[in-house]
Amino acid sequence: MSFRQILLVLKREYMTRLRSKGFIIATILIPLGMIGFVGVMVGIAVWDTDSGHTIAIVDQTETIYPRLEKLAADKYADYLDASEDSLKSLVMSEQIDGYILLSEDHINQQAEPEFVSSGAGGLSLQSSVQADLRSAIRSERISRANISTDVQKIYESSVSLNTRKLTAEGEETDDNTGFLTIVGLVMGVIIFGAVLGYGGMLTRSIIEEKTNRIIEVITSSVKPIELLLGKMGGVGALAISQMVFWLVTFFALTSAAGPIAGMFLTPDMGAANPSDGAQGFDPSTFTLPEIELSLIIFFLVFFVLGYLIYSSLFAAVGAAVDSETDTQQFMFPIMIPIMIGYFIMFRAMENPDSTLAVVGSLVPFCTPIVMITRIAITDVPLWEIGLSILLMIGTFAGTMWLSAKIYSVGILSYGSSASFKELWKWIREG
Amino acid sequence: MAVISVNDISKSFGQTKAVQNVSFEVQKGRIFGLLGPNGAGKTTTIRMINHIIIADGGDITINGTHVSPETQKMIGYMPEERGLYKKMAVGEQLIYLARLKGLSFQEARRATRHWLERFNAADWFHKKVGELSKGMSQKIQFIATIAHDPDIYIFDEPFSGLDPINSEMLKEIVIELREQGKTVLFSTHRMEQVEQMCDDICLFNHGKAVLKGNLRQIKHSYGKNTINIEFEGDHGFLDQLENVRINNRSTNFAEIRVLDGQDTQEILKTAMDHAEIYKFERVEPSLTEIFISTVGEDNINPNELV
Repeated sequence: MSFRQILLVLKREYMTRLRSKGFIIATILIPLGMIGFVGVMVGIAVWDTDSGHTIAIVDQTETIYPRLEKLAADKYADYLDASEDSLKSLVMSEQIDGYILLSEDHINQQAEPEFVSSGAGGLSLQSSVQADLRSAIRSERISRANISTDVQKIYESSVSLNTRKLTAEGEETDDNTGFLTIVGLVMGVIIFGAVLGYGGMLTRSIIEEKTNRIIEVITSSVKPIELLLGKMGGVGALAISQMVFWLVTFFALTSAAGPIAGMFLTPDMGAANPSDGAQGFDPSTFTLPEIELSLIIFFLVFFVLGYLIYSSLFAAVGAAVDSETDTQQFMFPIMIPIMIGYFIMFRAMENPDSTLAVVGSLVPFCTPIVMITRIAITDVPLWEIGLSILLMIGTFAGTMWLSAKIYSVGILSYGSSASFKELWKWIREG
Repeated sequence: MAVISVNDISKSFGQTKAVQNVSFEVQKGRIFGLLGPNGAGKTTTIRMINHIIIADGGDITINGTHVSPETQKMIGYMPEERGLYKKMAVGEQLIYLARLKGLSFQEARRATRHWLERFNAADWFHKKVGELSKGMSQKIQFIATIAHDPDIYIFDEPFSGLDPINSEMLKEIVIELREQGKTVLFSTHRMEQVEQMCDDICLFNHGKAVLKGNLRQIKHSYGKNTINIEFEGDHGFLDQLENVRINNRSTNFAEIRVLDGQDTQEILKTAMDHAEIYKFERVEPSLTEIFISTVGEDNINPNELV
């Protein structure tokens, strides 16, 4: 095997793609697309809660409505003078979303209040109305019950949960589980997408060399295994370049995000709701929780190993078929393990130490996706990480051996796509 | 010493014996033709010489060295199935291919520029191959084959798919290469097309080398027992002739191989009774005729010989 030849192939694969418009556009557009996607999701959520449901309150006690108004002034409107018939017609003409008739009976626990609605707002509106009513009526009951103010204060105080995480070294840290779960999920999804995307790129490029008929010119200078390694290396280097570019951009943006947010948001935003402690947000101190360097290194390691295992298989597919439309039957067996890994990742996200997650993270075909999610969220024992890496290296040796055999025969068979039976023959005789 | 020496090589694909016990030698400074119908094993043999596939048995040496990545660099190879990277620029691509053959970047760039100028194509350097016409990309393919200045050139079915201008150009290049003392091996199934070019030939049929040697000597040994006849009129008389084999038959031409030494004047007389004769000539047999008489009419598929 000649290292020089591999390097020449690698450089060509890398450079021609790096300069292609498609790659440059994708590198810029994919993160923008992701940001846009998140933005749309947030926008939908905001628009959804702000969608201005109006619920008419006919409060004969005249004590509950003021409490509801304090909870959510936009949502509840005072319709004390309206008759029930006119309320019904308002609901039907969709001028209001529903109404509630309140009387002393409800405070005295002699009847349950009734929420009549058009169905707009669905379950989430119902449950928020229920929560609001519960707290409004309950506080009215308490204030009527003639209890000492101390007890009232105790009742009205809210409790929030501050979480801290104890690491294996016994250090207590701020618990970022929520944030790290998202990081783990994003990393898993990126590895999943990149392995499929770059694997597919490799398949197409091998098919292209076959259909272009340049493959025989190349193989008169380069051994098939050199060509295969060069191509895998070139596409892999491209993938890593893209990842590093994204990572650098991400950290540059997040480190700039605090000051930039500070410029735009201070000080009115912070002052607007000074009483609202729970949602209080001081933009000048806004920073994302830190992502550990080791996590990023693991991310790259698992990405590279996952890429190597899957790209060797994708290369074999490219060599076995004659045109891209025939790839389907071979892609299927490759897609199954990676899809299983993808689904285990979501389970691992909820419970990173479950048996399923641990086993999934040790199965080499699922490791890159599942393990990185686990590492991000929880403290995975080092032996598990080490074992999974060893297993992946072993698996890669196997898939590479298989792929090299199929590749060296496949690239010179034109005219028709191979069957599984033929592939087996190539492997046996190759 | 032979430049290419093929000793008793065999290659099977599954049950198919593509090449069986083939041996031949190609001498320096000569044009060697590997002839035979499609599927006779020519391309397989050429791929083994190029070390693209490995022989099951026997061995091949190039300038005394067993075939290896090193011998690959001594050869300029233009395969039958040829192509280039469509999205890559001409100059970059030629440099890449030459570097794969062992040239340094500077050498490769110099050779690429030299040949592009020689083919009046210097302004194609930055063009993508996909933007070129078919004839133009065939020229680029030639350059890719010869740019690293090897001593040995192997062309597999070089004329298939070539337009007439590039066909002529390739012939000129081949003859020019021989004048420079280079060695050329090419394969073809169109025998008449190469009769004028080859010094030595090896005839393939069903994976075996059935005849080999110096083309002039082979033809000479067959004697002048073939008649080329040009005529006008009813060509039905050709069917009345006995103990002959007729090749290249058309409405006003036939190549008649006389099989049993009968008097050719009898044939002329028969012909004169039926048609007006423009030309009647005794010649050495054509390569097609030699091939047929070597392997026997029953052993070939006539459709494979054009």
